[in-house]
Amino acid sequence: MSALDPFAVEVIRHGLSAAAEEMSLVVVRSARSPLLREAGDLSSAITDAEGGLVGQGRDIPVHLGAMAYTVKELLKVCPAETLKEGDSLIYNLGILGGNHLNDVKVARPIFVEGRLVAWGLSLAHWPDVGGTWPGSYYAKAVDTFQEAMRIPPVPITSAAGVNRAVLDMVLHNVRDPVSCEGDLMAQIAATQAAERRIRELCAVHGTQAFVDVMARLHDLSEAEMREAIREIPDGAYEGEDFLDDGRPDGSPARVHARILINGDEAVIDLSGSDDRMQNFCNTTPYIARSAVAYAMRVMSGREMQQNAGALRPLTIVTRPGSMLEPGWNAAVAAGNHETAARIVDAMFRAMERVIPERLSAGGPTTSGLLSFAEPMPDGGWRMLYEVHGGGEGARHDRDGSPATRVHLTNTSNTPAEMIEANYAIRLERQAIRRGSGGAGAHRGGDGIVRSYRILCDEMWLTTCVERTKIRPYGMGGGEAGQPFRIVLERAGVQTELQGKANLLLKRGDVVTLEGCGGGGFGAA
Amino acid sequence: MRGEWDIGTDIGGTFTDIIAVRPDGGETRIAKVPSRPAGPVRAMLEALGAVGLSAGDVRRFVHGTTRVTNALVEERLPKVALVATEGFEDVLEIGRYRRRELYRLDVAPKAPPLVPPILCFGLRERLDHTGKVLRPLDGAELDRLAAWLKGSGVESVAVSLLHAYANPVHERMVAERLREVVPHLCVSHEVNPEAREYERASSTAFNAAAMPVAVDYLTELEERLPIGAGLQVFHSAGAMVPVPAVKKRPLVMAASGPAAGVSASARLARELGRDRVLTFDMGGTTTDVCLIVDGQAEMTDTRMIGGRPLRQPMLAVHSIGAGGGSIVKLGAGGLSVGPESAGSEPGPACYGRGGARATITDANAVLGYLDPEARLGDTIQLDVEAARRVVAPIGEALGMGVEEAALGILRVANAAMARALRRVTVERGVDGRDCALLAFGGGGPMHAAGLAEMYGLREVIVPAASSAFSALGCLTADFSFLQQRTLRLALAGLDAAGFAARVEEMEAEARGPLIANGVEPEGIAMEHVALMRYAAQSEATPVPFSVPLESAVLEANFHARHRQLYGYATNEPCVIEALRVQARKPSTVALARPDVGRPVRPSRVRDCVFPGLGKVSTVILPRETMSGAVAGPAIIEDAWSTTVVPPGWRARGDAAGNLFLTGAVA
Repeated sequence: MSALDPFAVEVIRHGLSAAAEEMSLVVVRSARSPLLREAGDLSSAITDAEGGLVGQGRDIPVHLGAMAYTVKELLKVCPAETLKEGDSLIYNLGILGGNHLNDVKVARPIFVEGRLVAWGLSLAHWPDVGGTWPGSYYAKAVDTFQEAMRIPPVPITSAAGVNRAVLDMVLHNVRDPVSCEGDLMAQIAATQAAERRIRELCAVHGTQAFVDVMARLHDLSEAEMREAIREIPDGAYEGEDFLDDGRPDGSPARVHARILINGDEAVIDLSGSDDRMQNFCNTTPYIARSAVAYAMRVMSGREMQQNAGALRPLTIVTRPGSMLEPGWNAAVAAGNHETAARIVDAMFRAMERVIPERLSAGGPTTSGLLSFAEPMPDGGWRMLYEVHGGGEGARHDRDGSPATRVHLTNTSNTPAEMIEANYAIRLERQAIRRGSGGAGAHRGGDGIVRSYRILCDEMWLTTCVERTKIRPYGMGGGEAGQPFRIVLERAGVQTELQGKANLLLKRGDVVTLEGCGGGGFGAA
Repeated sequence: MRGEWDIGTDIGGTFTDIIAVRPDGGETRIAKVPSRPAGPVRAMLEALGAVGLSAGDVRRFVHGTTRVTNALVEERLPKVALVATEGFEDVLEIGRYRRRELYRLDVAPKAPPLVPPILCFGLRERLDHTGKVLRPLDGAELDRLAAWLKGSGVESVAVSLLHAYANPVHERMVAERLREVVPHLCVSHEVNPEAREYERASSTAFNAAAMPVAVDYLTELEERLPIGAGLQVFHSAGAMVPVPAVKKRPLVMAASGPAAGVSASARLARELGRDRVLTFDMGGTTTDVCLIVDGQAEMTDTRMIGGRPLRQPMLAVHSIGAGGGSIVKLGAGGLSVGPESAGSEPGPACYGRGGARATITDANAVLGYLDPEARLGDTIQLDVEAARRVVAPIGEALGMGVEEAALGILRVANAAMARALRRVTVERGVDGRDCALLAFGGGGPMHAAGLAEMYGLREVIVPAASSAFSALGCLTADFSFLQQRTLRLALAGLDAAGFAARVEEMEAEARGPLIANGVEPEGIAMEHVALMRYAAQSEATPVPFSVPLESAVLEANFHARHRQLYGYATNEPCVIEALRVQARKPSTVALARPDVGRPVRPSRVRDCVFPGLGKVSTVILPRETMSGAVAGPAIIEDAWSTTVVPPGWRARGDAAGNLFLTGAVA
């Protein structure tokens, strides 16, 4: 490997990143669902032949972390020798390096001169994948079957083109097949773009050199991660954080992290987290790994390349039967963003006395999701998936920003003018929630307020919001931020809604979401 | 005495470039003087002096400037107020939530709002998305606003009400009432009549913030250079606009320097008959690239400035943070170039001003591409030894010599540039390898052939006046003016008469400013573009059409274009999201081969290092007198630019002073 031209490594790295960025551009520009085209809830990656991630777009951290496993696990059930040029596979199962059923992947093996050299992987959050409730977030789901359609790896394309039978099977199980088809075509086009670019890189540098460089990129990332871990003092550190509820008695469920730093290696043991929950807040071990990888990367306090090699110095432990390794049939829709975020928080709490200058206080570590689904006369649905940030936690050297996304997610809001033009909803108000950030030497950022008035007879609402009871923590003596709050006003009467619920709204109802403020840093 | 010279200038951060042309084509003069951030008008008059002219000699004066953009980025802004619909007055602070950096907590996730919360006013009024008035705006409310504004002490006001793109009625009432209350006022339906409240409010606030600065500056310029309609500003959409129009919408100047370079490129592409051209303008800290198809530069709608969106039709110039001053880093994760830059102070190590970290320019100096005897910008003496001192440790760490390391650094730099070329072509569904690379700016001609080879391009064009190409673009661009607005009309069952009336109205709006600018109405051509999308999409695709509109043709062209860009088309209903109408009159300015005002240096030889060849004695040719063809390796120089012809490439010049480089694959 030492014979490799060090500059060719960098040139190919640029090429891989450019290819992944191009994939995301293709999806955003041609997708149908507002969730993709406005909010950008999608990610793209290039992996090596074995599924090790080597190139990623500037997308959603929680996706990208899990995608390090998505092809690896796929290869266990679809061996490389069964694949042919022109194939691409669609799947969404959590056990295949996945997260929740809404995140549908299209994976394309990329062959050069008959040899499998890489994969193009496009992940997109579909606004609906069938199941009990429109939007496929069913808060009371006790298992995966209540959640949504389950797609095992099946060929959506072959050299002959799109596989119509598979496409029909999928489209007949979603509530908005027209948008769904457009989104899926965009994902397929993205993997085709990846294929073109990888072939170009191989043509320029030689296929073997390209393959060698991918291996080298893993080594470089590993070296970077080891260097970062070495800077953290050796020791064992423990931290915990809580979901708003989830235990059988409805009390907050615990996520626990024990971090063991030893030289240039780290063990992150999450097995102290609570057992599998009887709701949709469980998650998969891949998402747990993704959250850990994210936290380690930001704690490194440096620009780092994110390749699968960066995971090598990390030993990540989850306990079978726990909420982080709940088994293949568990409900996991919300755990993808809610429970995953708790892992980051638990790790921050563990390290807050060790490297406080590299962390930030608690923030809107939740999707802040409100999803609205209106039944249409033709039997279809019109769906709006709204995600919300809040105030960022403060840091040792600055206040938190208002109204933003933190950590594992980075999706946008949908403009009021776009919502009103496309849905039976009027926005009554969209404002900064002044004073909601926690006090401190540096203040936490303020959250937001957004009010929706329903203009149709029937609207199916899903809420999926954490931090309604457990407030975003302060750090180093700073105060906690105000919690999330969702209020329904019906006929002049105000009721506070649960953070995770499904309910029917009527014409004239006003739902107001108040996003949490960030925690402060240092005593005020 | 009546002036007989036409002048183009580009006022950049470091240098002000000027090009002077006598319209009979008899003479072209070029010069470069230091910019004066505190006195830009003075710098411009000095530049006139540098080409041997004074204010009295000038007939037409067109300039591009980064002055407005710099003021915005550096936050040197006057107090501005925002008037928004009540309940939505925090629109700028909320933005779109997204953070800029995914994995960095040390960087604030968003830029702070351009207008602080205490200067945002919530106006009691409301429209819906069809433009229907839900809550009327009344006189008492306008009085409340006027009283608040008087107490606020602001000089400039941005007005951006919900759904004003669909119906400007309330914004017009506000504008009418505030006319005598504040000196500067910007309303969103004039600045950017398109949906999405944050982007529209941000664009309106940008214009309002820039207004006091821009108006003072342009007024001073009018006083010092009283040539009436001959005084023009370059528009970031690639056209010239008269000064009075710019005072109302100063952000049309936002990226006017880069846009001018692209305009000059588009014209040259037409003259040379090149269908597809990629422009490559490499400066000290950034590199700008743009795609030109069939002689027209691609357009874009939004550009981020200092982390905030500015939405208006602009040439689709893509900038990356890599230029001659970009710093080379070698860490545990490998070798990288930029985005950190040595800037102009201290600058690259070879500038001898204390720069201690290796930059791209240092790598070029190590390889012998830069003339060690030249004095850059008349102030900097090149220090090649300093460059070797900073590049050598990188080579040692990689187990190679200083020259090999320098060659590697250029490859990595070119990979970053290639990524930018990839982006602008991919966005438009074009195979970049069909393009010619048109290189200008300080570093463009030096890197172009290496970049072209990496990206698989067969031809590089280094235009005459490449070192002042943006200034040239100011002068030679077509006269044109562009209007764009949101329509959101379903294509099926389109009201043909109503549509034709809309087109006619916009044609008049596009033609008006040209005629006001002294352009003869005869020969003004109209270009029509429909921004089309499938009903459920949000991004629109530009599709040209001719009038009278034939819906079926437009629809077929849209499907075809969509297939070209994204690989598929569907049978879904189509929507005309917006309409773009551009009035254009071709420029007739002709150029003589430029005189750079410096003595021509004779040809000579110098040791240079090339990939696969090592150090060789290389011929250095003066560009001014070059004729015929030359085979690489060779260097072609003039006072302001260096063109590298690598081994395997050939260069030839034409009578106009353009250079054409072709690779071995051609």
